[in-house]
Amino acid sequence: MENYPDIKGYFGEYGGRFVAETLINVLAELEDTYAAFRKDEAMKAELDYLYKFYAGRPTPVYYAKNMSQKYDIEIYLKREDLLHTGAHKLNNCLGQILLTKYMGKKRIIAETGAGQHGVATATVAALMDMDCTVYMGSVDVERQAPNVNRMKLLGTKVVPVEAGSRTLKDAVNAAMQDWVANCVDTHYLIGSVVGPHPFPLIVRDFQRIIGDEARSQMKDDYGIMPDFGIACVGGGSNAAGFFTGFADSDVKLIGIEAGGRSDKPGDHCMTLSNGRPGIFQGMLSYLLDTEEAQVAEVHSVSAGLDYPSVGPEHSNWKDSGRVEYNFCTDKQALDACLELSRSEGIIPALESSHAIGYLINNREKFKKKKVLINLSGRGDKDLGIIFKEAVI
Amino acid sequence: MKSYNGAYLVADYPDRERFISAALKSLEFFDFLEIGIPFSDPVSDGTVIAKAAYDVIESGVKFNDIMKSIDEIKSKIPADRKLYVMTYANHIYHRGIQNFGKIMNDHGISGMIIPDIPFIESRRFTDIFEQQGLEFIYFITPESKPEQIKQIAQSAKGFIYSVSMRGITGSSMNLKADIKTAVADAKTQTKVPVVLGFGIRDVESCKNALETADGFIIGTRMIELLNEDADNSSFNKFVEELKAKF
Ligand SMILES: Cc1ncc(COP(=O)(O)O)c(C=O)c1O
Repeated sequence: MENYPDIKGYFGEYGGRFVAETLINVLAELEDTYAAFRKDEAMKAELDYLYKFYAGRPTPVYYAKNMSQKYDIEIYLKREDLLHTGAHKLNNCLGQILLTKYMGKKRIIAETGAGQHGVATATVAALMDMDCTVYMGSVDVERQAPNVNRMKLLGTKVVPVEAGSRTLKDAVNAAMQDWVANCVDTHYLIGSVVGPHPFPLIVRDFQRIIGDEARSQMKDDYGIMPDFGIACVGGGSNAAGFFTGFADSDVKLIGIEAGGRSDKPGDHCMTLSNGRPGIFQGMLSYLLDTEEAQVAEVHSVSAGLDYPSVGPEHSNWKDSGRVEYNFCTDKQALDACLELSRSEGIIPALESSHAIGYLINNREKFKKKKVLINLSGRGDKDLGIIFKEAVI
Repeated sequence: MKSYNGAYLVADYPDRERFISAALKSLEFFDFLEIGIPFSDPVSDGTVIAKAAYDVIESGVKFNDIMKSIDEIKSKIPADRKLYVMTYANHIYHRGIQNFGKIMNDHGISGMIIPDIPFIESRRFTDIFEQQGLEFIYFITPESKPEQIKQIAQSAKGFIYSVSMRGITGSSMNLKADIKTAVADAKTQTKVPVVLGFGIRDVESCKNALETADGFIIGTRMIELLNEDADNSSFNKFVEELKAKF
């Protein structure tokens, strides 16, 4: 598991670089610079410094006492919601902004769905004084309005994308198009473990601090190893970082996709459960598409999970059986959000609520077990949707 | 030397009849036609082509319908005019590489142009397509390095597609030194024509392209012309102009 990707950028069967020829050398440069960056002690020290003093790492692992008692499950939460800007996305952004500086590039672009990655990117752009443009589907601009304003306040240009389904996948397309045209001076600060090699590798590496930290915290703070590790999966970055820390252990790992309204095509984002391998946005990975090979319309109440494909490493974990993939519906996630808010005083992001919702709805399976959940972000951004959808 | 030029059209756009008529008209002048099979996420295409592709998908046109249009075109053109399919990798992957190649052969397609399969990912496709006698078209770009150009020039079948600038279809042409050098470099090392595409839209830019390359490809402009009226008259007029000038 540690040895993936191979030199061609594949995790088993999955991954690769399915992009325009123009980007091939840009990706090669990125790969080489990243290899040098990893070995650079000064860079490592600067990143550690930023993680600690700027972002607020380490984030704690909290034992959720009230919920644990209610369900007779030992529930631990890795609190990425407490990270600066409110989600795990900043781990990757701090790493990649240093990498951008290291490459000598001056401009960054990014896509965003929920707006969490957009905000994290806008934040590091402000910190490092870089020109920043974020692409966001116009549907998401509307449903995640607070984050659009945060990005603007931070000095980032937000470009609404009107193409296709006007959500996350279309924002990725728009960012890729910008990058093809401006690759000489621009870095594409991608927000998840998706896209062409080496992005799935880079993003996973910058996110694995979640899993590494959580593993030692479980040991140091609680003296145990969990039986299960659960994380939500959109593109798959919080899950990949979390799982990688436990890869060589016996911990059973479960990735939760968005079950949406139903399991009918167009109603969900269950890429790994219901999709098949395909080529999309630079990678060979599981994909939800139609009989005609068109990328399917997908749906989730949470914008950050509303994506028809998934990182190639997850596809490989699914096939190898190292990780089990399951789902949580819109309604279960909304209920879980409400329940965690009321029982522990923690308002989770709707993305993260999928992991909680899965646990609650499958509680018999976890009785008396130790379950560590990655709480990838906080829910402030979702208040509009929560009040619209949930009966409070 | 006579130039070697291609036109790009989106299959069954604006509708089946006008597409077939435009295809036949363009092959009075052009040596080959690229037929775009619409994909939901056309990352290499600008808004004009992307919108046309979107409209075709929305109107319910299926892959098999497009193959029927191709049959009709094929039956009405001289044998020296070639048809290529331009689409994205997922269309091939999901039908199976072998099966896709067989379909192409069954419909008289000479080869494929796939903007999201770069040279380094092409082997799994070309190993099969070459056995099937199909041409897999490679790209060179302003970013290509001499050793990559050499490899591509030596492996190329059909023609080499040189992308005039860093960008997507529908951008304006801006022939800089980097791509001129790349094209010149490729020409000395290959047996096939090196053709320039992206941003070529009028007699002027065609002439510019021919100063550097063996031919040109016109795409976005063709779609724009079809959007100008309901009877292909602007389109036909443009083809006549090219016939007169080149
Ligand atoms: C809080 C939160 N969790 C999870 C995700 C899903 O992304 P990933 O699967 O890459 O972790 C997002 C995406 O925006 C998010 O904001």
